[in-house]
Amino acid sequence: MKRNDLRLLAPAAVAAWLGAYPTHAADLAISAPNWPSGQATANILKVGIEKDFGLQVEVKPMGTMNSFVGLEAGTVDIQPEIWRPNFDDLVQKYVEEKGAVKLAGKQVPAWQGLCATPAAAATFKSVSDLGDPEKTEVLDTDGDGQGEIWIGAPTWLSTGIERVRAKSYGYEKNLHLVEAEEDVAMAAVDAAVATEQPMVFYCYAPHHVFQLHDLTRLEEPAHDPAKWNLVSAQDPLWITKSNATTAWDTAHFQIGYATAFATKRPDVAQFLENVDFTPEEVTQMSYALGVERQAPLDYAKKWVEQNAARVAGWGKP
Amino acid sequence: MILTKMRRFGPVLVAAGLCLGPLVALAQTQIYDARTGKWVDYDKKKARQLYARNKQLPEAFQRQVVPFRTAEAPGTIIIDGNQHFLYLVQPGGQAIRYGIGVGREGFGWAGIVRVGRKAENPTWTPPPEMVARDPNAAKWAAGMPGGRPDNPLGPRAMYLYVGDSDTIYRIHGTIEPWTIGLDVSSGCIRLNNDDVVDLYSRVDVGAKVIVLMQGAALYKGV
Repeated sequence: MKRNDLRLLAPAAVAAWLGAYPTHAADLAISAPNWPSGQATANILKVGIEKDFGLQVEVKPMGTMNSFVGLEAGTVDIQPEIWRPNFDDLVQKYVEEKGAVKLAGKQVPAWQGLCATPAAAATFKSVSDLGDPEKTEVLDTDGDGQGEIWIGAPTWLSTGIERVRAKSYGYEKNLHLVEAEEDVAMAAVDAAVATEQPMVFYCYAPHHVFQLHDLTRLEEPAHDPAKWNLVSAQDPLWITKSNATTAWDTAHFQIGYATAFATKRPDVAQFLENVDFTPEEVTQMSYALGVERQAPLDYAKKWVEQNAARVAGWGKP
Repeated sequence: MILTKMRRFGPVLVAAGLCLGPLVALAQTQIYDARTGKWVDYDKKKARQLYARNKQLPEAFQRQVVPFRTAEAPGTIIIDGNQHFLYLVQPGGQAIRYGIGVGREGFGWAGIVRVGRKAENPTWTPPPEMVARDPNAAKWAAGMPGGRPDNPLGPRAMYLYVGDSDTIYRIHGTIEPWTIGLDVSSGCIRLNNDDVVDLYSRVDVGAKVIVLMQGAALYKGV
């Protein structure tokens, strides 16, 4: 999922999209990831903090790993969406061990798993249906008699975990596991829905694809830590050595901020602790930027205006 | 209503070269026969018979506006080689859908590219292996001028680029319109000539083009 994407976007291009570079030094910096809700949140925090505290805030496009490095180094003060359990390794290092980063107390619940288009939903109700070659044949898109399933983008950490799950559940034997950019997979979902074709694929929420299409989540055995044995991805053979035969653990994301920054500006840190987005609001953000193509800063200004009392409340002790 | 579906079988034959004329059918399309209420194989022979009789493609492969919900911006092209459709995304949850002919081995990738160049009456240059094999192609080793009725690229071509590099894949017309809906050449994406002129007029250089995945075995990424 995008929450695992460690790539940096071309900085100039993204900066142009997010808004112009500041002409002089900002008072604080917020990192912005490359997925829509993260960009919306970064800009809403920017507009809200500027309004409540009169500070100048810079939004910097940045991947999650670099953002953690920046939080420790002092070049980044706030990170809008830290996904867990996906980035638990970094949380362990920067929050627990180094104490360089704090996580805001409020969390937005999230979910990841497998989804089916309407034409696939009757056949594929549960992950166990994926193990039946007679059923998965209808997912064939290249004429070799074997179905395909999109498991994520090549750079995502979750894609490797989906590969582990396919191996552990057994459906890797009768399905080709396809890695492709998210735009390619989402366009494939669009085309499958438009032509009433069956398609099963990795999915995560909050995400605007659930607003676009009527998707069904495949049932899986509840998450069981005893059956979820992932070797560290630092090990080149981690996929072979790992095993996972249950649903993903319940995910969530939360705001992170630099400990040093919180000491300097406890009032802004308190603001961040008060931010209380709901999953529905995050889906709306994703849809507004991802589908309606609203500019993140324009969207953020409008959002803050429409939620003026609430944003003002975040800034009060 | 969906009027075509794919049924593929047999070993995949390798069609050498890129952007060639029709060579061999590699997969089986089916179309819905309204008279009998049955799905019937749509192969090269059937396609040619139907085209001779109807002077047009089966309904599914004719240009039409269809509902199409997507996060992609209007102006984006989405190519579904499996179902033989090319979508041009329009505002308001719609797309213009064109029937296409595609190849197998030569287009064995998925990914995101862009229209890097457009050409009216493009010159067709046969690839070296075709020149070596086919005396008719050898005559045009230096390039067949555009505008000729036998130019396999037809009246328009859109050249697909990754960044500033030509991928050697093109969206172009055809001199054998009955092959739309079939996997009979390798490499490029063919539309009938009216459709390629229509698409050309609506697409800007720089347009995003998404080629959908056609299975892990073929996926290489661009």
